[in-house]
Amino acid sequence: MTSTSTAIRRVTPSTPPRRWGRRSASGKRLGYVLVSPAVLVLLAITGFPLVYNIWNSFHYFDLLNPTSHRFVGLENYRQVFSNQTGLGPAIEHTIGYTAVSVPIEVGLGLGIALLLNRPIRGRGVARSLLLLPWAVPTVISATVWKTMLDPQTGGVDYVLSLLHLPGAHTTWLNTSSLLSWVAILFADTWQVVPFAAIILLAGLQGIPRELYEAATVDGAGAWRTFWRITLPLLRPALLVVLVFRTLSALMIFDIIYALTGSGPGTSTSTLAYVDWNSFLVNGNFGLGGAISVVMVAIALIVAAAYRLILRPKA
Amino acid sequence: MTGISALGKPRAGRGMTRRWRHRWAVLALAVITLIFLVPFFWVLSQSLEPTAEFSRNVPTLWPSHPTLGNYYTVLIRDSFSRSILSSFIVAAITTVITLVVGALAGYALSRLPIRGRGLVLGFVILAGFFPLTAMMGPLFDVMGHIGLLNTYLGLSIADLIYTVPLTTWLLASLFGQIPMEIEEAALVDGASRLGAVWRVIVPLAAPALVTAAIFSFLLVWNDFAFSLAFLQTANRFTAPLSIVMLSQTKYQVFYNLTDAGVLLTALPIFVLVLFAQRRIVSGLTTGALR
Amino acid sequence: MRPRPRHVFSRARRPKNALSVSAALVLAVALSACGSSGGSSGSQISASTKQTIVFATTGLGAEAQATAAEIKAFEKVHPNITVKVQQLASTSNDAYQQVVHYFEAGDAVPDVVDADTAWPASFARANWILPLSSDGISPGVLLPKARASGTYQGKLYAAMWYFNAEGLYYRTDLVKQPPKTPQQLVTDAESALKADPHLREGLALEGMKYEGFVTVFIDLMGAFGGGLNPAHFDTPGNLKALEFLHSLVYQYKVTPQAVAGWSEQNVQDAFVSGQAAFATNWPYLQSLVNAKGSAVIDKTGFVPFPSDNGAGVATVASDALVINAKSAHRAADVDFVKWMLNPGQQINRAVTSGDPPSVAAAYTSALFSKAPYFRADLNVFKAGVPRLVSPDYLQISTDVQNMLSSVLANQTAPAQALSQTAAELASLSK
Repeated sequence: MTSTSTAIRRVTPSTPPRRWGRRSASGKRLGYVLVSPAVLVLLAITGFPLVYNIWNSFHYFDLLNPTSHRFVGLENYRQVFSNQTGLGPAIEHTIGYTAVSVPIEVGLGLGIALLLNRPIRGRGVARSLLLLPWAVPTVISATVWKTMLDPQTGGVDYVLSLLHLPGAHTTWLNTSSLLSWVAILFADTWQVVPFAAIILLAGLQGIPRELYEAATVDGAGAWRTFWRITLPLLRPALLVVLVFRTLSALMIFDIIYALTGSGPGTSTSTLAYVDWNSFLVNGNFGLGGAISVVMVAIALIVAAAYRLILRPKA
Repeated sequence: MTGISALGKPRAGRGMTRRWRHRWAVLALAVITLIFLVPFFWVLSQSLEPTAEFSRNVPTLWPSHPTLGNYYTVLIRDSFSRSILSSFIVAAITTVITLVVGALAGYALSRLPIRGRGLVLGFVILAGFFPLTAMMGPLFDVMGHIGLLNTYLGLSIADLIYTVPLTTWLLASLFGQIPMEIEEAALVDGASRLGAVWRVIVPLAAPALVTAAIFSFLLVWNDFAFSLAFLQTANRFTAPLSIVMLSQTKYQVFYNLTDAGVLLTALPIFVLVLFAQRRIVSGLTTGALR
Repeated sequence: MRPRPRHVFSRARRPKNALSVSAALVLAVALSACGSSGGSSGSQISASTKQTIVFATTGLGAEAQATAAEIKAFEKVHPNITVKVQQLASTSNDAYQQVVHYFEAGDAVPDVVDADTAWPASFARANWILPLSSDGISPGVLLPKARASGTYQGKLYAAMWYFNAEGLYYRTDLVKQPPKTPQQLVTDAESALKADPHLREGLALEGMKYEGFVTVFIDLMGAFGGGLNPAHFDTPGNLKALEFLHSLVYQYKVTPQAVAGWSEQNVQDAFVSGQAAFATNWPYLQSLVNAKGSAVIDKTGFVPFPSDNGAGVATVASDALVINAKSAHRAADVDFVKWMLNPGQQINRAVTSGDPPSVAAAYTSALFSKAPYFRADLNVFKAGVPRLVSPDYLQISTDVQNMLSSVLANQTAPAQALSQTAAELASLSK
C-alpha cells in the first residue's frame, strides 16, 4: 500500500496557515474581508430574531394577553427542563428519531453516491431523477405521503396489496406510535436521501482517480480501497451531510405536522413541534423563546461534537 | 473508478468479477431510481384524475377517464405559470447572492489563515438551524417596517437563511479538497493571487459551484414558510404557496390539483438539474486531466 | 486573463455596503421595537370620503365568486369605497398565523378580517378587534346560535358570516328514519353494514388529530348531556361520550381505525361514494351528495346528531367578520360588515356557494325555493351548540385533541384520558 499512502499524503491538503507564512497578515485580512458578507448577511437575518427570542425567554409573554407581560427570570427554562409542557417526551422522541434516521439516511445516501460515481450510462439522467424527491417542498410532499398512506385508497396500500406483502390495509398513521414513526421515517428518508447522495457524490468526485489506480496496482480489494482511501477522503463531505442531517432531524417539524399532528396522543411530538405549539397555538412567546434558545444550544453541541469526532487529520 | 486498472485491461479472473459487479451496480441503480420515483408515478396518476372520480373512493393505478383538465385548471384558471415565474425569480436572486457570498466565504474559510475559522464556520452553520417558527414573527415585523413585505427582494433576503449556511460549508469543504500545491504552482509561475484563483481554482471548483448553485436553487424553490408569511397577493405567490392555497378550501382538498401543481413545480427543477449536471461532469473531466 | 474585477475594487466597498445594510436593519429593528403603536385610531376617516378598505379572506371557487359578487354590489351602493381583497391561507392554522402577524404588528391593515369563530375571543381580549354592537351592527339580525358564538363578555365582537353546524348525514335507503339516540345510531349502523355488502363504514367521522375531531366530539358530548367546560370537564356525560367514541371502533366496530387519518374530505369521499351509511359532516356536503358522479343521489338526509334527550346536537363552527381595532376606516368597515349581513346578499351567497345564511331574515321561501335543502339545514341549526367562546380556545382544543387521538388509538383508557385532560384544562383556566 506504500504507493497509495504516498499518493494520499501528496494530495491531502495541508493546513492553510503554514502555506501563507510570510504573507499571513495580508492573507488573514483578505480572509476576514471575504467571509464578512456571509457573516453579515446571516447576522442581519437571524440577529433580531435571536435577540428577540432570548429577551422573550426571560419573560412571561403571552401574545394574546399583553397585560400579563412580566419578567420571570429563568422560569421558562425551568419549565423546559421540568417535563411540564410535554417537553420531556418530545425531547426523547427527537433524539431517538435522530439516532435512527441519520445513520439510515446517510448510509443509503452513501450507497447511492457510490453507485452514481461509476461510469454507468445514463447516470446523469438517474442523478436528475433522484433529485426530484428533494425538489418537492416538504410541506407538500408530506401531504402527498399522507394520501399515499391512506389504508384504503393510498398508493402504499395499493402496492403492498399488489405484491401480497404484509402490511396491506394497515392504518399507518395515528393508530400506533411505532407505525406512525415508521411512516414518518419512510417519508423523510424518501425526501432526504437524494440530498445526502448528491453531496457525497460531489465529495467522491473530488477524490483523484490516480489514488484508485495506485490502489489497484498495489492489489487492494474493493472493500480495502473503500475503507482506506474513499472514506477518509470523503470526510469533509461526510461531515457536511452528517451535521446537516442530524440538525435537520433534530428540528423535524413539517412532516410530523402534516402526517400525524404529533399523534397518536402526543407520541410523535418533537422539540420543533412543541416549539411551534408554544408560539402559534398558545401564543406563549416566553416559553417558545426558551425552547428556541435550547434548540440552538443543542445544535451548537451537536455541531461541535461532530467537528471534534470527524476533524480531518492534518 | 474502482476496477479500472492503469493499463485499462481487466486482469484475468478479476475482470469477470468486475464486470459482474458493474452489472449489479447498474441494476441496483435502476431499481433504486425506480423505487424513489414510485410516489411520482402515483402523483402523476392522481393528477390526471377528474374530480368526479374522487367520489368513487377506490385506489386505481390509472384513472378510468384520465384528463388534462387539472393541468388546465391549475395553469390557466389559477395562473400557476405566474407562480412558477415568481418562484424562479426569487430562487434566482437568492442563488446569485448565495453563490457570491458563499464562494468568497468558502474560499476564505478553507484556504486562508483566518483566526477563529471554526467559530465563523460554526456560526454560519448554526444560523441555518435557528427554528423557523421563532423567526417568523420578528422577521415579519422587520420586513414590514422596511417595506419589503410582499416583494420578491424581501423574500429572497429571508431565504438566504436556507442557502448561505449550506453553501458556505459545502464550498469550504469542496474547495478544501483542491490541493494547495496547484495554487502555489500558479503563483510560482508568476500569476497574481487573483489570477491564480481565476485561472486555476475556479475551473477546478466549477463542479462544486454548480452543486452549490443547484442546492441553493432547490432550497429556495421549496420554501413555503417564508412565502406564507411574507406574500400577500396572489400575483406574487411562489409555486409551493400557490399549490397549497389554491387546491384546498376549508373542508375540501383537491388532490388532483395539488398533484398537477407538484409535477409542474418539479419539472423545471428536473430540466435545470439535467442541464446543470452535465457541467458537473465536464468539470470533472477537466480536473482529471490535471 | 484579467483578474476578476470583483476582488479588486469591491474589497474596499463590500464591507462598507454590508455594514450599511446591517445598520439599516438594526435601525429598522430599533424602530420596530418601539414603534409598533403606529396606526392608532386617532384619525378616523368618515364613511363618505373616498377610501379603500382591505378585506382579508379565504375562499376559492364558488365561495370566491360569491364574495366577489358581494363586493361588487357593495361598491355600487357605496361608490366612494373600494374593497381590496387580501388572500388568506385556506388552512385554518396557516390563516391564523397570518392574521396574528398582522394584528401583532399593529398594522391598520387589513381592516376587516374573515376569522374562524374560534379566534375572536382571544383577539378581543388582546384588544385587537372592536366590539361591533357599539357601531350599529345589531346582534339581533343574526341567528341566536350565531349571535352566541360571536359574543365575548357580553359584547358582540364577531359577526358570523355564514352558518355552519356539524350534523349527521344518513342514507335514506338504508334506514327508514334517522336515529333518535346515539344507541339507535349504533344499531342502525350495524344493521346497515350487515344488509349492504358495499358498505365499508357504518359511521364515518373525522378522526384526524385536528380541530375537526373536537367538533365531532362536541357533538358526542352534547349527545350524552355533557359539554366542553374547561372548569368542569370530567363529568359523567363526557365520560359516556368518550367511551361511546371508543366503542364505535373497538366494540361495535362500525367505525374503522382508518378514521384516525380522516378529515372532512375523507368522510365526504366515503359517504358520497356510497361506502358509509352515516357520516358526521357540515352543510357544504348537501350540494355534493346530489351532484353528478355521486353514488348516493337522492338517497341522503341531514339531521342533528342524535342525543339522549331527543333534541339533537350540532356543533357550530364557522367564519365570522371582525374589524381591526387599528383600522382607520371604521365607518366604512361597519358599512361593509352590515352589507355582508344584508339578507339579500346572504341569499345570493347561499345560492352561489352553498354557504347557509347566518341571518335569520334570509331564511325565506325565496331561499327555500332556490335550494330546498336549506330547510333541512335550518332544522340542524336549531340544535346548534356553539363552540366554547374562550380566549384560550386553541389551547383547550389542543388538549382535547391529544385526548381524543390517544383514546382512538387505544393508547389510553377513556376514563383515565378524561381525568388527565380535565386536570390540564382546569390548570389552563386558572
